[in-house]
Amino acid sequence: MSSRLQIILSGLMVGKLGTILVLFGNPVNMGVCVACFYRDIAGGVGLHQAGVVQYIRPEIIGFILGAFIIAKMKGEFRVRGGSSPIIRFLLGFFLMIGALVFLGCPLRMILRLANGDLNAVTGLFGYVAGIFVGIQFIKQGFSLGRSVKQKPVGGYIMPMFAVVLLALLLARPTFIYFSTEGPGAAAAPIWMALAAGLLIGGVLQRTRLCTAGGFRDAILIKDYHFMWGLIAIFVANLAGNLIFNFEAFNLGFEGQPIAHTDHLWNFMGMSLVGITAVLLGGCPLRQTILASEGDTDAIITVVGLVAGAAFAHNFGLASSPAGSTLNGQVAVVIGLFITVGIAALSTERSVSMERGVKSNV
Amino acid sequence: MNKKICIMTFHTTYHALNFEKALKREGIEVKLIPVPRDLSSSCGSAARFSLDDREKALTLSKEYNIELDELYEREEETEKPSLLDRLKRKK
Repeated sequence: MSSRLQIILSGLMVGKLGTILVLFGNPVNMGVCVACFYRDIAGGVGLHQAGVVQYIRPEIIGFILGAFIIAKMKGEFRVRGGSSPIIRFLLGFFLMIGALVFLGCPLRMILRLANGDLNAVTGLFGYVAGIFVGIQFIKQGFSLGRSVKQKPVGGYIMPMFAVVLLALLLARPTFIYFSTEGPGAAAAPIWMALAAGLLIGGVLQRTRLCTAGGFRDAILIKDYHFMWGLIAIFVANLAGNLIFNFEAFNLGFEGQPIAHTDHLWNFMGMSLVGITAVLLGGCPLRQTILASEGDTDAIITVVGLVAGAAFAHNFGLASSPAGSTLNGQVAVVIGLFITVGIAALSTERSVSMERGVKSNV
Repeated sequence: MNKKICIMTFHTTYHALNFEKALKREGIEVKLIPVPRDLSSSCGSAARFSLDDREKALTLSKEYNIELDELYEREEETEKPSLLDRLKRKK
């Protein structure tokens, strides 16, 4: 099977599972949303008190364990790290703020698009704009530095974290929060969500599909490999929505589920996601897969995502269907400034200049 | 007909871009691609060029201070090979 076919098939699978999970209970247009699901988990373990978005999402547990198991089997579980962990934490943190102002990670943006939500088009423009800005820094030599081989034990933290989450989900102790209404209460059966997560985690570990990589490669090196996967997610989800859930398909800006029509902030939020994702070298989904195969820098990024989600709901940064909040808008602007600042200070050219070495190219 | 090619990986995309620029400047055919999945699970960029240009590429990299990661050599059918074929050939 050619690698193009594989990436298309894995995209089709993600899109299809997105439809199925919604049919069986997940929030509409949220069959799979990595940012939303980390946010729900942050709420579930009590890091924020937004009562409508608290649930330990089995999909995330599945992503982690699926990617971990396949990486182990294929000999690709390599523990490495040490590439600017604190910067990655910050970028992950602000990525989540941007995603929660828009209301979805890049994957959910595609799923929203596939159900007719035109606000996701605004988000898509913002996302591509953010990636474009990030690419300019890469061209200037932006890098977070090399990672080095690390002690194996660090790589097992992520799968252990997933096992603990699974235990908490099944045992439902009283200190874990489960929404009784709102998106947090809408969920597919645990076994189904877990199975879908395992499948996606395993397949994406193999194919490396990444929503940021798709646009980055298309713009930067004119390579459309991952873009085919993204198109496949859209097509499969669109087809699934039209066939199985036609009544819910709604083309337009108004009245979209778990979305708002604040165009400027849909754009700005996703711009922040785009620039942070491209600087991190991968979207939240890809970071989760990397974190599960021993990349401890990606684990720090995920911790940043969870912290960002907790902040977003504790300080009223996250948008709601009513629109974005002033706090959220300020946070996005601060995030853009900090991200661009970090990017500008981490380019090779600035380093070379400090050393008095002139780059040859 | 099989064609012998090289795949060069880099620690940063910046160096991949400079590598492409340097080779193109010397008229060497080079294409940037995502790192092939069977080489590494990282998601950076790699450069693909003909084995005939191997030495020239290495010299140029030194001249231009381009930091290289790994160089892989492989055969490729002129038609796009499938991953399965590539894996088979590796064995």
